[in-house]
Amino acid sequence: MSNDPNSAVVRVEGLRKRYGDLEALRGITFEIQAGEVFGLLGPNGAGKTTTIEILEGLRQPDGGTVMVCGMDPGREQTALKEQIGAQLQATVLPDKIRVEEALALFASFYHTSASIEMLLERFGLTEKRRAFFEKLSGGQKQRLALALAMVNNPELVLLDEPTVGLDAQLRRDIYALIERFREERRTTLLTTHYIEEAERLCDRVAILDHGQVIALGTPRELVLHSGQGTRLEVSLAKPVSPDRLKQLDAVSDCREVNGRYFLHAQPAAVAVAALVRFLEAEGNALLDLHIAPPTLEDVFVEMTGRRMED
Amino acid sequence: MPRWLNDPMNKWPDGPINMMPSIRIALMSIKLVMRTKVALFFTFLFPIIFLFVYSGIFARGNPQAVVYMFGPVVTLNIMGSGFFGLGLQSVMQRERGSLRRYRLAPLGPGSMVFSSLLANYLLELPTIAMLVFCAMVFFHMPLRIDLLTLLILVTVGTFAFAGFGLTIASVANTMQEAQVYNNVVWLTLLFLSGVTVPLPMLPPWIQRFAAFLPATYLVSSFQAIMVGGQSLCDHQAEMLVLLVSGTFGLLFAWKLFRWEKEEKISTRAKLVSITFMLPFLVMGIWMNEYGNLAATWKQTYSLISRQPFAAGQHALSISSILLNDFESPEESEILLKTWQVSTDVNAAGRSLGELEVISPGAAGTGHALRFKGRVESAPGSDRGYVAVRYPFTLPAGSPSWRGIQFEVRGDSRLFQVKITPPDLTLPAPTLTFIPDSEWQGVRLPAAWLATPNPFPHKNTLVLEFRADGPPGTFRLDIDEIRFY
Repeated sequence: MSNDPNSAVVRVEGLRKRYGDLEALRGITFEIQAGEVFGLLGPNGAGKTTTIEILEGLRQPDGGTVMVCGMDPGREQTALKEQIGAQLQATVLPDKIRVEEALALFASFYHTSASIEMLLERFGLTEKRRAFFEKLSGGQKQRLALALAMVNNPELVLLDEPTVGLDAQLRRDIYALIERFREERRTTLLTTHYIEEAERLCDRVAILDHGQVIALGTPRELVLHSGQGTRLEVSLAKPVSPDRLKQLDAVSDCREVNGRYFLHAQPAAVAVAALVRFLEAEGNALLDLHIAPPTLEDVFVEMTGRRMED
Repeated sequence: MPRWLNDPMNKWPDGPINMMPSIRIALMSIKLVMRTKVALFFTFLFPIIFLFVYSGIFARGNPQAVVYMFGPVVTLNIMGSGFFGLGLQSVMQRERGSLRRYRLAPLGPGSMVFSSLLANYLLELPTIAMLVFCAMVFFHMPLRIDLLTLLILVTVGTFAFAGFGLTIASVANTMQEAQVYNNVVWLTLLFLSGVTVPLPMLPPWIQRFAAFLPATYLVSSFQAIMVGGQSLCDHQAEMLVLLVSGTFGLLFAWKLFRWEKEEKISTRAKLVSITFMLPFLVMGIWMNEYGNLAATWKQTYSLISRQPFAAGQHALSISSILLNDFESPEESEILLKTWQVSTDVNAAGRSLGELEVISPGAAGTGHALRFKGRVESAPGSDRGYVAVRYPFTLPAGSPSWRGIQFEVRGDSRLFQVKITPPDLTLPAPTLTFIPDSEWQGVRLPAAWLATPNPFPHKNTLVLEFRADGPPGTFRLDIDEIRFY
C-alpha cells in the first residue's frame, strides 16, 4: 500500500476538539490511503466518534487540519457529502418508512446513486424490501444503515461502530460486507472497540486513548512491536510483584491487571518452566494459565495499563 | 476570533435549499402521516370534530352562524398544524435522532425547513376542503367566499403559523420546553383572538390586546369576508402582517435549525428570535391607534349574533349592515356625542327629553337606547314635541339598501320616525307608529337608498325619532338599527 501523501484520501494533522472542560481530541494525526481499510480502535470515550464526525463534517474541530477527498469538511460539506458514505453509530429512520423507500429517498439526494435493487441484494434486504423500519431486527437495521451509506456509490466509506450491539453471527455478516469494500478497493474508515474486528478487517489501525493516537500501524506491526512474543495470562494463589515475574528467564514484560498477570515471553516454554520453578520456591501456586499469541488488546494493555473494556 | 462570532445567530447555515430533495422529503412525510393512525386522527378527523362542536353547539346548527364559526374553525386547524403538526414534530424528530441521517446527505437546513413547510401545507389543503364539504353538507353553510380567496387566506395563515411553530421548535432545547412555549402561545391565541370566544364578547382591554395576535387577523379576515361581505382587498394589511411574520419565523427556523438534540441554543439567540413578533407589535399598536377593529368585529358579530335566537321576529338579512346596537361599553359617552335631543323650547314649548342606555336590550342583547321625557304644550297650544336625531353616513360601497329597520317598544302613544336624505329634494320617508310593550321590528323604507347616491359629498343622513301630540310622559326603547 502506498504511503504517498498525495494518494491519501484522508489526512488528519494535529486534530483537536474540546467539549467544555473535556478535551476529546488532543492533536491526533493519521492518514488513510486510497483503497485502505483503516481502523480507529479504542475504548468508549477515546475520541473515535468525534474524529469520524469531524471527517463527515458534522462537527467543527477546534484545531488542526483535516482533508477528506481533497476537501475541507468544515467548508465544503455539500460537495464532500457527495463523495462519502457514512453510517452512524445508531441510525434512526421514521418507523413507517419501508426499506426500499428509505434507499430510494436517500439515493435521490445525490448526483450519482447506486442501483436500489443491487443494494437490496447485496445487503441481504431483498426479502425485507417492503418492511417498515420499525419491524426490522437490529441486524437488519444495521445492514440497512450500511446500504444507506452506499447509496451514492461513495469513494470513501466512514463506519462508526458498525457492529456494536450485534451478536457474534450478525457481526460476522457485517464483517463479510465490509470485506467486500476492501475487494472493491473502496477506502474505508471504521471505528471499533472490538479487537477481533480491527484485526480481521483493517489494513492499518490507529489505537486511540483519551483523545490521543497511542499506536499506529498494521495489526501485525503493532503486535510485533508490543510484547514481542507469546502472551501468558496467569492467575496465582498469592499476589506477587510483577517486577519479580519480569526477572524470570525469557520474560520481557509483565503487567498485573485486576489480579491477573500478563507476561510476554520468548520462547514461551522457557518462561513457563521458569515460572513454575519460581512459584514452587515461593510457596505459591498456579491457578490458571493461558498461552496465546499477542493481540491488539495486549498492545493496548501494554501502552495504557488498562483493558479496552475498562 | 471573538467568541460571539461563533454564535449560531451570527452566521447563516451552510447548504443550499435543494428543491427536489425537499419535495421528495415532503411527499414522504405525507406518506408517513397516512400510515400513522394517530397522525391521521389529528390531521383529518380532529378538525372535523371541532367543526361539529363549533357548528353544532356554538352555532346551534344555524347556517348563518356556522358561516361565522367557520373562520375560527379553520384558524384553529391552521394553528394546530403549525404548532403541533410542524413545530413539535420538528423537535420530536430532533430528539429521536432521525434528523441525523439526513444530515449525512448533501442537504442543508433550508431544505429540511422547506420540506416541513411544504408537507404541512399539502396536508392542510385537503383538511380545509373536508371542512368546507362537511360544513356545507351537514350544516348547509352558504359558502360566502370564492375559492381563490379561501385558498389565499389558508395559504397565508398556514405560512404564518408554520413560522410560529418552527420558531418555537428552533428555540426550544427539549420537547418539554417546546410544549411549555407552545401551550403558552397556543392558549393565548385560542382564548384571546376570537378563535373560541367571539371578540366582541371580550372586555375592551382584551380586544385591544387581541390586536397584537396573529390569529385575530386570520379569524377577523375570514369573518369579515364570509359574514360581512367584504373582499380580501379590505384586509391587505392583515395579510401582509401574517406574511411578514411567517417570513421572519421561517428565517429564524432556518438560521437556528439544529440537527441534533445535543446542540443547545443560547439564551441570546432565544431573545433575538423574539423579534419575529415585531410585525404584530407594530400592527397591534397601529390598529389600536388608528384602526377600528372593535367596531368591525362588533359589526360582523352583530350580523349573526341574534340569528339563532330571533324566533318569531322578522328574519334579518345576513347582508344587512348594523348602524347601532348600543353594545359598546362606552355607549353612554357616545350617545351624548352622536344622538341629539331637540325639543319645542325654541317655539316657547316646555317639553323635555333625555337618553339613557338600558339593559337588557332587544331579544336578549346587552343594551338598548331609552328615549324618554315629557311632552308639554306651549301656552296657547295643545301640542308639543321632543325629538332625538342620529346623524350617520352611508357605508362605503353599499349595495342597494331598501331602508332602515329597528326594534322598538314603549308607551302606547304615537311616535314618528323619519330619515332626512342627503339632498332635500328627495322625499324624506316618515312612519308613524305606536309601539307595544314587547319588542317589535319596524321597517322604514327609503326607495332612494336603492339607487347610487347621486351626491357623493353629501352622504350624511339623519334618523329622527319624535314624540309629539298631546301632553304627557313618553318612553321609547330602541335597539338594533340596521340597513336592510
